[in-house]
Amino acid sequence: MGYQSSQKGDATVVTVEESRLDASIAGGFKDFMMDLIDSGNAEFVIDISEISFMDSSGLGVIVAILKQLNGKGSVKLVGPQKAVSDLFDLTCMDRIFKIYATVDEALNNSQ
Amino acid sequence: MKKRTQCIRLFIDSQLEDIVLVAMAVRGICAITEFSVDEVNRMELCIVEITNNVIEHAYSNEVGKTIEILINLSSDMIEIVVSDWGTKMEKKHLDNDPAQDAMSMDIDALSSSGRGINIVKKIMDDVNYVSSDGKNSFYMSKHLN
Repeated sequence: MGYQSSQKGDATVVTVEESRLDASIAGGFKDFMMDLIDSGNAEFVIDISEISFMDSSGLGVIVAILKQLNGKGSVKLVGPQKAVSDLFDLTCMDRIFKIYATVDEALNNSQ
Repeated sequence: MKKRTQCIRLFIDSQLEDIVLVAMAVRGICAITEFSVDEVNRMELCIVEITNNVIEHAYSNEVGKTIEILINLSSDMIEIVVSDWGTKMEKKHLDNDPAQDAMSMDIDALSSSGRGINIVKKIMDDVNYVSSDGKNSFYMSKHLN
């Protein structure tokens, strides 16, 4: 359980190994991501496929990552389950974030 | 014969990691209704969002406070009432326009918090907030299919 990161070329692939990204762990995930940004990482592929439930606190962290990058990087999301996709749809965040089916698809897409 | 309203009352401590307990209870109750899987997911999201708000705002993340969750299930509706004895929510939070999230696609203007109530308002048929004698209650209801 937790978060893992690895480098794939210029991209930092982050895997969220949690079934729930909610308010009880959002702070820890935010700290993990902000440390990566502070270390100079800016092109993120975040694999959220293990998350079966996300609330607005979890979503808020992903928005905070994008804001922290301040236009000098990117956030690609991979493999959201149905309930997570629904949250992005409900909040119109599906119009903000690029969402891919697999990590390879995200890495191979330069958009 | 009209089915009577069934009721369950739950209490949790004001700790974020305990919210999953009521989330699973709501899932279980919704699973015996006519709600689809997607609707059950959305009902779970609503109880989590409102209980998050209670802990973070009414109780300022202080543990050891009581949260009451009352669920009324009738033949055509489910009503969930989340109550606390903390700081009353300002009316402006309930009056926010749920369409606001969609209004701004400007990343700078996006907020990283404050979406919970709007999500609930989008999902539920009716929401209300009542504060009386130190008890604050958030009412949310949805018709069954």
